[in-house]
Amino acid sequence: MPDVIVRVSSAEQISRIMRFANLEKIPVTPRGAATGLSGGCLTVNGGISLVMVDMNRIIGINPVDLLAEVEAGVITIDVDKAASKYGLFYPPDPGSLKTSTIGGNIAENAGGLRGLKYGVTKDYVNALEVVLPTGEIINTGTKTVKSVVGYNLVDLMVGSEGTLGIVTKAVLGLLPAPPARASILATFADMLDAAKTVRDIVAAGVITATLEFVDNVTINAIEDYLKVGLDRSIGAMLLIEVDGQQGAVDIEAAVVTGVCNDNGALSCKQATSDEERNKLWAARRAALSSLARIKPSTILEDATVPRSRIVELIEAVKSIAKKYDIMIGTFGHAGDGNLHPTILTDLRDSVEEAKVEKVIEEIFIETIKLDGTLSGEHGIGITKAKYLKLEISEDAYQLMKRIKKAFDPNNILNPGKMFLT
Amino acid sequence: MGEEKILLKDKDFAGAEDIANAKDMPGSKETSAGAKGIAAGAKGIAGMDGSKTNVVISGTGVLAKTVRVSKKGDELYSCSRCGTCLSICPVYKNTLDEGVSPRGKLSLIEAAANKTLPLTDKLSQKIYTCTMCNYCTKECPSGVKISELFRAVRQDLVDSSKYPEILDMLKDKIKTAYNITFDTNQGRLDWLKQIPGITLSDYVKDTAEVVYFVGCVSSFSPRSFSIPRAITEIFKRADVDFTLLGEDEWCCGFPLLSSGMTDAVTSLALHNIGMVIKKGAKLLITSCPSCFHTWAHEYTELTGVKPDFEIMHVSQYLLRLIQEGKIKLNDISVNKAGIKVTYHDPCDLGRNSGIFEEPRQVIKSIPGIDFIELDTNRLQANCCGGGGNIESLNPALSSKIADAKTDEIFATKAEIVVSACQQCERTMNTALKRKKGEIDYKVKVLDIAELVLQSMNAEG
Ligand SMILES: Cc1cc2nc3c(=O)[nH]c(=O)nc-3n(C[C@H](O)[C@H](O)[C@H](O)COP(=O)(O)OP(=O)(O)OC[C@H]3O[C@@H](n4cnc5c(N)ncnc54)[C@H](O)[C@@H]3O)c2cc1C
Ligand code: SF4
Ligand code: SF4
Repeated sequence: MPDVIVRVSSAEQISRIMRFANLEKIPVTPRGAATGLSGGCLTVNGGISLVMVDMNRIIGINPVDLLAEVEAGVITIDVDKAASKYGLFYPPDPGSLKTSTIGGNIAENAGGLRGLKYGVTKDYVNALEVVLPTGEIINTGTKTVKSVVGYNLVDLMVGSEGTLGIVTKAVLGLLPAPPARASILATFADMLDAAKTVRDIVAAGVITATLEFVDNVTINAIEDYLKVGLDRSIGAMLLIEVDGQQGAVDIEAAVVTGVCNDNGALSCKQATSDEERNKLWAARRAALSSLARIKPSTILEDATVPRSRIVELIEAVKSIAKKYDIMIGTFGHAGDGNLHPTILTDLRDSVEEAKVEKVIEEIFIETIKLDGTLSGEHGIGITKAKYLKLEISEDAYQLMKRIKKAFDPNNILNPGKMFLT
Repeated sequence: MGEEKILLKDKDFAGAEDIANAKDMPGSKETSAGAKGIAAGAKGIAGMDGSKTNVVISGTGVLAKTVRVSKKGDELYSCSRCGTCLSICPVYKNTLDEGVSPRGKLSLIEAAANKTLPLTDKLSQKIYTCTMCNYCTKECPSGVKISELFRAVRQDLVDSSKYPEILDMLKDKIKTAYNITFDTNQGRLDWLKQIPGITLSDYVKDTAEVVYFVGCVSSFSPRSFSIPRAITEIFKRADVDFTLLGEDEWCCGFPLLSSGMTDAVTSLALHNIGMVIKKGAKLLITSCPSCFHTWAHEYTELTGVKPDFEIMHVSQYLLRLIQEGKIKLNDISVNKAGIKVTYHDPCDLGRNSGIFEEPRQVIKSIPGIDFIELDTNRLQANCCGGGGNIESLNPALSSKIADAKTDEIFATKAEIVVSACQQCERTMNTALKRKKGEIDYKVKVLDIAELVLQSMNAEG
């Protein structure tokens, strides 16, 4: 628990807090909307919880340079709303976008449903104002499309989980909103056919905006909760969206439909109205909620593998669930290889807790074997700290620690995260 | 070093007073995977953060009712701290204070039930900072029964004498005079008696098909008199055989229920039910959504009596009268292409009672109306800021919430905003007055009955 909570409203205030904290050796932990999924904003060693939500000004939108300048506490969806007034959009769309802050998104390099085509947060951060752990305020990055001047500190900050500096302002990239889109729902008897379809769509030369996978366990959970008439017996479903100019959208939708059918889809349905599209999406959006209702504890993992290995990952998760006799629903952004195997349990039961720990470890080991990564978008934080070395070498680990030391000699900014030693 | 310390005390810290004792703020168990994952991923840390690991709350303890309602903590535990509720909760959005957000309140409740936090006045104050709009409960992905927990915890706070003083006054008023004002209950019909030339016995009869339950606010607050006046006039003109209860109408008990003072409500409920039965009525109508909610959803559980008369909100009954052709509606647009009208869903009528369509159908059946929805409507309607006693407990916050509602109204460019609740009407009216400089046209707030009457009175 934090000793004090400070709601800050300017970089200068934060700078003074950091100088003070360095003198007194008080830990400081930045906090956005606390939607993080790896424990990043928790104050492990007490100290100051630095609450960023009051810094929520949208400073400006530049429709010519396709840039938005915002304070770090701005809520993700508000950037998109501001951009939409100019016919633009802010592509990174984490499931938490109505609550999460831009600072938190940058710190976790948040992804979203549109990641396959549009990338993740790092692809849209042009410049930052950052308060360093030692109190200096720096501006880094540019408003230009390109720049090669010194080390790329912007990219170092993105995904640093609030351990290298406190982001106070960001210049974000925007894109013109695509004028047309098509949404397709395809169902499959066998979940492996769905996984193969994911591979084949990309192989057919179509980069869809979204390519979401939902397995049978999750489908049943959704049906229990929403009763939208999904077939409970199907192995998996894919929710696919293509966007762009109308002509291109029509062609791509036809290709996608063809690939689904070639892979033995039971049904393949394209939404004909916004209302129908919303219905298709409602089911996908309800995936996590529906699972969360089943058991008291929901542990959402974030394993990510190269697209070509997704079938193997799904099979591995399935057999781990069977081995430990534990319920795992899997859904996620299959198009970019990022799945969310979701473990449903009750962590208050110590037997279950021990089992879960083993399950997680096995999923991680399998993921690494498949050339994958421990976390596609949720970060290491506290929860995955002990697995870090599964993925990165000792030398790389030590280099990271030296970087941390260079930024934060007294280790007061968000200590206890990422590195256990 | 001393200088640095002084620097920090600088008043220009926006949150100077907010550098609160962290103990009053939930900062901990972060999210589903976040915190529950902590248990799995990094043992030992969880305890430090006060995040929940083993919160099976046992025994009676300080929050006995909450513990029972939460099934010994199960219900509290199922909040995954996902933060979905932060994006919708009016008190959070207008304070950005995590301690009053739904998930914040839940973690405070949990900590108090766990006895890791003492039941302080400050904690109680945070819990009472709530409009009881119920939006969080409806949207919570994990299905946490938040409003049930909030109600139970308020009861516990009352039992432990940790509740806002102002509520004692409310309780005394209701107990001694059966209404929420400083008047005696004889004043129940002042709104009617002031109308010249009326015969009281036409309005208060021994028996009638329909009883109209006016409610405390509309009975006693002159700003709301126009609502019962409109309703009774419509009923008269539509030949409805109705009666009022007059002095025999007692507060429905809603303000006590939502304050956590449930015990006092049963006798009010029994009295009111008895009065309606005495009139031999087949139908009870309320114009106040909270009265409606209490009659329709609380009375039976409180008293064990299942009355055999029907209970309707006036918006439903108006629709029936229109459909039966008992009311003639005329064009209200007067030479215009159509007058822009929008509708605000009162929390207790919409989200809490599921009545969304009838008021809309009533509005749309009036000729000359160009109906436009507010940005947030039906289940997602934002509260007007008038609920949960927040108007008296925290007027500044209530105004802020109301101002946000006003912005939504302005965005529709509507000239009339209709509600079906005297409290919403009042809150929105005050806010519109405060912000009238922001627009160059006039916006009027009307109750659904007032709108219907206006249409009946328009040139046919
Ligand atoms: C329902 C749900 C759905 C989600 N869906 C997705 C998804 O689709 N994709 C995805 O990537 N994530 C998702 N997440 C995870 C989470 O929303 C993201 O990690 C998000 O970026 C966190 O933002 P936040 O503002 O809540 O940050 P917090 O949780 O408050 O903080 C996260 C980390 O960032 C640091 N931090 C916060 N603000 C700053 C700042 N200004 N400067 C420096 N460091 C800072 C904190 O110290 C912490 O380490 C989801 C979470 C939930 C609950
Ligand atoms: S939406 Fe529900 S589960 Fe999520 S934080 Fe709020 S109360 Fe908890
Ligand atoms: S009932 Fe409304 S005001 Fe109260 S916590 Fe829930 S959303 Fe917020």
